[in-house]
Amino acid sequence: MNAGIMVAVILLPIIFGAPIPLLPFKTRKQMAVYVESIVLITSILAWMMLFSQPEGSFILFRFTGNLSVSFRLDGLGTVFAGIVSVLWPLATLYSFEYMKHEGHEKYFFMFYVITYGVTLGIALAEDILTMYFFYEMLGLVTLPLIMHTLTREAILASRTYLYYSLGGAAFAFIGMIFILTYGTTSVFTPGGVIDLARLGDKKDFLLVIYVFCFCGFSVKAAMFPFSSWLPKAGVAPTPVTALLHAVAVVKAGAFTVMRVTYYSFGTELLRGSWAQTVVLGLTVFTIVYGCSRALKETHLKRRLAWSTVSNLSYILFGVALMTPLGFVGAMSHMIFHAVMKICSFFCAGAVIYKSGRNYIHELRGFGRRMPKVFVIFTISGMALMGVPGLCGFISKWNLAKAAVQSENPLAYVGIAALLVSAILTALYMLTISVRAFFPGRDFDYGTISDVEDPNWMMMLPLVIFVIAMFVFGLHSEPIVAALESIASIMN
Amino acid sequence: MQFVQNFPFITIILSLFSGPLSSILDGKKAKKINLAVITVIALMSCAVLGFVIRSGAPYVYMMGHFPAPWGNEIRVGVLEASMAVIFCIIMLLCMLGGVYEREEELEETKQNLYYVMVNLLLCSLLALIYTNDLFTAYVFVEINTISACGLIMIRQNGRTLEAATRYMIMSLLGSGLLLLGICFLYDLTGHLLMSNIQEQVAILHQTGMYNIPLLVSLGLMSVGLAIKSALFPFHSWLPDAYGYSTLSSAAILSSLVSKGYIFLLAKIFYRVVGFDMVRDSKVVNVLFVFGIAGMIMGSVSAIQENNIRRMIAYSSVAQIGYIYMGFGLGTTAGVIASIYHIVSHAATKSLLFVAASGITDASGDSTRFQDLTGAGYRNKLAGVAFTVGSLSMVGIPMFSGFISKLLFAQAGMESSHKLLLTLIALAISTILNALYFMKTVIRIYTPVSRAAIRKKGFRNITMKENKQKSAALVCFIILNLILGLCSEPIIALFRSGLEMFS
Amino acid sequence: MNGWILLPVILPVLSGIFLLLTSFREHLGKTGSGSGLSAVGNGMDEPERHRLHLLTCTVLVISAILAVTAAFSGEKSVTLFYLMKDIPIYFHIDGISRIFVTFTSLVWVAVGIYAFVYMKHEGEEKRFFGFYLLVYGVLVALDFAGNLVTLYFFYELMTLTSAPMVLHNGSREAIMAALKYLFYSLCGAYMGLFGMFFLYRYCDTLTFMPGGTLNPALAQDHRTILLIAVFAMLVGFGAKAGMLPLHAWLPAAHPVAPSPASAVFSGIVVKGGVLAALRTVYYVVGPDFIRGTWVQTTWMVLALITVFMGSMLAYREPVFKKRLAYSTVSQISYILFGLSLLTPTGMTGALLHTVFHAIIKSTLFLTAGVFIFECGKTRVEELHGIGKRMPKTLWCYTFASLALVGIPPASGFVSKWYLAQGALGADVGVFGWLGPAVLLISALLTAGYLLPVTMKGFFPGKEAGDAEVHSGTEAVKEPSAKMLVPLAVLAALSVILGILPNPLINYISQLVSGLM
Repeated sequence: MNAGIMVAVILLPIIFGAPIPLLPFKTRKQMAVYVESIVLITSILAWMMLFSQPEGSFILFRFTGNLSVSFRLDGLGTVFAGIVSVLWPLATLYSFEYMKHEGHEKYFFMFYVITYGVTLGIALAEDILTMYFFYEMLGLVTLPLIMHTLTREAILASRTYLYYSLGGAAFAFIGMIFILTYGTTSVFTPGGVIDLARLGDKKDFLLVIYVFCFCGFSVKAAMFPFSSWLPKAGVAPTPVTALLHAVAVVKAGAFTVMRVTYYSFGTELLRGSWAQTVVLGLTVFTIVYGCSRALKETHLKRRLAWSTVSNLSYILFGVALMTPLGFVGAMSHMIFHAVMKICSFFCAGAVIYKSGRNYIHELRGFGRRMPKVFVIFTISGMALMGVPGLCGFISKWNLAKAAVQSENPLAYVGIAALLVSAILTALYMLTISVRAFFPGRDFDYGTISDVEDPNWMMMLPLVIFVIAMFVFGLHSEPIVAALESIASIMN
Repeated sequence: MQFVQNFPFITIILSLFSGPLSSILDGKKAKKINLAVITVIALMSCAVLGFVIRSGAPYVYMMGHFPAPWGNEIRVGVLEASMAVIFCIIMLLCMLGGVYEREEELEETKQNLYYVMVNLLLCSLLALIYTNDLFTAYVFVEINTISACGLIMIRQNGRTLEAATRYMIMSLLGSGLLLLGICFLYDLTGHLLMSNIQEQVAILHQTGMYNIPLLVSLGLMSVGLAIKSALFPFHSWLPDAYGYSTLSSAAILSSLVSKGYIFLLAKIFYRVVGFDMVRDSKVVNVLFVFGIAGMIMGSVSAIQENNIRRMIAYSSVAQIGYIYMGFGLGTTAGVIASIYHIVSHAATKSLLFVAASGITDASGDSTRFQDLTGAGYRNKLAGVAFTVGSLSMVGIPMFSGFISKLLFAQAGMESSHKLLLTLIALAISTILNALYFMKTVIRIYTPVSRAAIRKKGFRNITMKENKQKSAALVCFIILNLILGLCSEPIIALFRSGLEMFS
Repeated sequence: MNGWILLPVILPVLSGIFLLLTSFREHLGKTGSGSGLSAVGNGMDEPERHRLHLLTCTVLVISAILAVTAAFSGEKSVTLFYLMKDIPIYFHIDGISRIFVTFTSLVWVAVGIYAFVYMKHEGEEKRFFGFYLLVYGVLVALDFAGNLVTLYFFYELMTLTSAPMVLHNGSREAIMAALKYLFYSLCGAYMGLFGMFFLYRYCDTLTFMPGGTLNPALAQDHRTILLIAVFAMLVGFGAKAGMLPLHAWLPAAHPVAPSPASAVFSGIVVKGGVLAALRTVYYVVGPDFIRGTWVQTTWMVLALITVFMGSMLAYREPVFKKRLAYSTVSQISYILFGLSLLTPTGMTGALLHTVFHAIIKSTLFLTAGVFIFECGKTRVEELHGIGKRMPKTLWCYTFASLALVGIPPASGFVSKWYLAQGALGADVGVFGWLGPAVLLISALLTAGYLLPVTMKGFFPGKEAGDAEVHSGTEAVKEPSAKMLVPLAVLAALSVILGILPNPLINYISQLVSGLM
């Protein structure tokens, strides 16, 4: 299989997604079939690509000089592309049902499908410029999805999102320029590309730039103090919040941070420096901060969004440990969190879709009316807490293992933060479940008699996610081994 | 001597004489002649460019075959020729985009006068680009100023008169300083031809004589041209002048007139004083600091603005800051970045002005932000064009702004002590740009209810309604994408041009 | 194939889940019909209830028999599967498992039988027994766990599955108490997890080995952080065992939970914390590592303060079940104190007290349950003269109380003797005499808060008798045999084990001497 297939998976959704509003669909179903088939074909191509692991790189076009947009598949890219390509078709299926009540579907699916291609572009980017290119694109194509409802709140949220993401990119840009100037090459190379001879005595300088770059890219990963856009963006339709703001966009942020840390700047230069202390400190703080904000929040989707903030910093924490093991932990949490959080968001979406209720105190007694959804929600909550047997425990274990091994005192604090966050997670997730299943003796079920479990289009993804959570939780070895082999080429 | 080598001279003469010719024609005919002249000049400049690229060396054209120092010289290199081509294209598009507004806003009897001014402006720009004589440059600077003033003033409402007066005062101040600087130089070297001055200055620089007068002269010329091109803090004339003049004036003024002065400054740096000398003097540092201040302050003012035209005008202040920052870096890479940005900004800013007028057309000619809500749906093409322009300004890859940002940053990387400042300024400025441009984009795509639209009497504007403007917008978008995606040959052109320069 | 030893885990878990599913299904049917009535149905008819009891009883007894058989069929181990590369879910039966499984099964069956009657008035029986069976399975697995991760796995599961037993009645207080329980337990579990991460790094293996598996070469330079880790684990697991500073869930959870649930909570579930602490210190870290360090000292201090504080609070507490809960706080810390001494005698005392306390405290809670079930009395001062109506129940209570106070020849005396001996014999400085002194004072306080119930119950005095006439408790009589028999059996055991402690003592001291 040659490298051209990478371009195919990126361009196919973009090219076929863009004209959706112009195509003359007679019924809604036709559109649904069209959209799902684009997404599925892309995913199948992506899986073929992931299994065949095409060698070599493909240059799409050149910007200036030796700067080009080019693609290559490597281990980390495989992980991210794998997550995205598995989740996208499922989320699309879910959104057909969900979007019924949102309207403007053609535009929605147009951007939804384009985003798929752009996200794959980030995963497959060969060098830092290509990644930056798609990173900016991602910020733009997801903007209309946040604006979708066109309410005042949505407009404000999208504005905030745009400012944050462009601002982040502006600082990430600095890092990119640095790599272009001081790197032996701009292509991602395990262990980093910094040319020590050219760098000379400017190590401090490198550290400053690294901190900028880390912060810039982690804006999308909603690290404190750049986290407030994510909960606001919760006004978007749930498939967007679930897929993009729990997986694609925010994971793209984490992914880019991994790329610049492990593949561009190189951990050897950074480990033990003050820059590591700074970023590690920020991530540790965000872990706790996100959870505490989640606990305070009474809006269901916003609570989940704050929880995402915290969980993303788990990933960044793993990255900031700057050891191969930390990398493994970060990647495993990237995979597992994707499954857990998309699952809980879909449950929230099902609740909103079926009952139109958004606030947690309105969910009393729902456990009886939507038993399947709430059982699944509870399981995903437990997975997020890190109950052993579910996948959250595995990644938490891997992260903590790495933190212990790094022998960095701040990392020890990080472990404590992970656990504090686990407790807070228990509080903010389980209180919802408890309220839903145990509404109290005096509760009148008549008030919610119109609520019921959704149909198979919404349930199928949920069930698949739950099975995945158990499978990953009980039998994580193959995945972790694969991640370890990816990380082993680091040092 | 090939015939094509005469073209630069012919273009200048052509535009110079088409001016007086227009004054005796009526508006319609003057317009046609003007458009034809610009097109012809563009084509001729292309031919010149092709010739210079092929020959690989600049040539000097003596007017009337009188050798220097008596004769007047034109010097043509790759950079000059490509600038001429680009300026012509952009001017053509600006004129096309603003046809409708001109007919609306200008008095019937003054239509033809407008074209006189435009033709003279083009003439002076070409002369500024090509001339090899410092004093000729000064003369055309003045012609440029006067015709620009006319372009502002011709839309006669109170604010343009005030703006034109202000512009006049500031501009003349700038010209005065420039003249003083030229006098100093003449005094020191006894020459007015650039190449001759450069030889003398090199000798002076080596011997260390007259260092301070040289520096003063350089400073005077820099400040003079900085005032004329609205470098912060000399930008107070700019928002009104761009904000209230008729559309094509605003577009031309922002994208071309100030750029002509900047190009002249580059010429002075390279061809008159010598870049090594400029770098050794601390003038570049001053420019650097004010450039960065302009980048930030221009954007800050733009954020506070509630009028879309004025907002775009303030954004020019910021962009001019970028260009001066590039000069201020004191490296060839920095200058290349600046020159690229001259082009990229010229293309983008005129696009923005034209697109903004399309948007305001769909909002009852109101330029206030409240009325623009949802205008992107009422005038789809203008909405898309404005979005493209904004994305380019913010520096999103694929658009021209990204390339210039990239070049600036890479140039910044080369100088060790200005590195961090440059990078941070770029980042902050990007964020500020995003703040006001993307805010506007989101606003024009925020829907409003049909009832509200009907109440305010806004109407939808289709692509066919104003064909010239639509065509201009489409061309601008394509130009922007070309600059963003295929920048490599253009940059190579500039680089080789800059090598020929000195 | 040793796989069969997991039968006592799988059987109750599966049948528990089955019960839960059916109960849930019924609820759906009920709310689905739109009746809008309170969901807490008492609508279970007699045959159905009978079937439920039969099922629960059979499963319980069979699993208990299986569990005990498995425990006494020699040292067996099973690796179920690998959770992570080098971390299996691994079960191994050793002496400690044997002791824990035995008393757990015993108490669980006895309390289960008692609950058949008791739960009638609480409603939602299917759900209750579903969780009851589920927790039993999890506890057996916890006792059989052969490495730290497996232990942690079932420790968390125990927390999560037992929480619904606390919020059984669905009232607001119950929900708050359950959340409090969850919060404290998870807090503790995560502190344990914190330590585990470090132990995983610095130990050769997390599999339990007598004497510990700490790798001295690796641990050399990281003593400080390791000690902090171990301390976090002790405090964390102490949360389940009600040790200061994470003890506050106990008094909140017990009064709202149904009495059988309180009985097994106090008797068995809190012992999960003891087991975890014991396994950590004696089987993973190794007692030598913390002997003489600040960890040991702090642990002892915390345990002793808890002993004293628990007793004091119990003494002042008017609500009967809450008083018993405080008593549990105090008594479990006896055990932890014994463990913290790190000597064979101390550990013998701790293990003995674990067994005895399980039996005694279940008895006490069951009597409290009888009082609630038969006459709805929850406060101590309401129990005046109760002995006249329910002499048998009160006698059971009295025996158990005497045992807990430690009056010879009842069982508590034996364990306390060993604990005091251990303290005096250990090389722990001032605690050598301070410990026994605190134990003694606490024993006095224990007598002070338990025995008045007996005294006032049998001898209410003149005026109390009149009050009783007015409050209309004449109709109250002894509970049915299904409640009384388990009660009596447990009460009798608490005394008999004190009279004939030797087999147990011998077994335990053998075990302990093998350990140290």
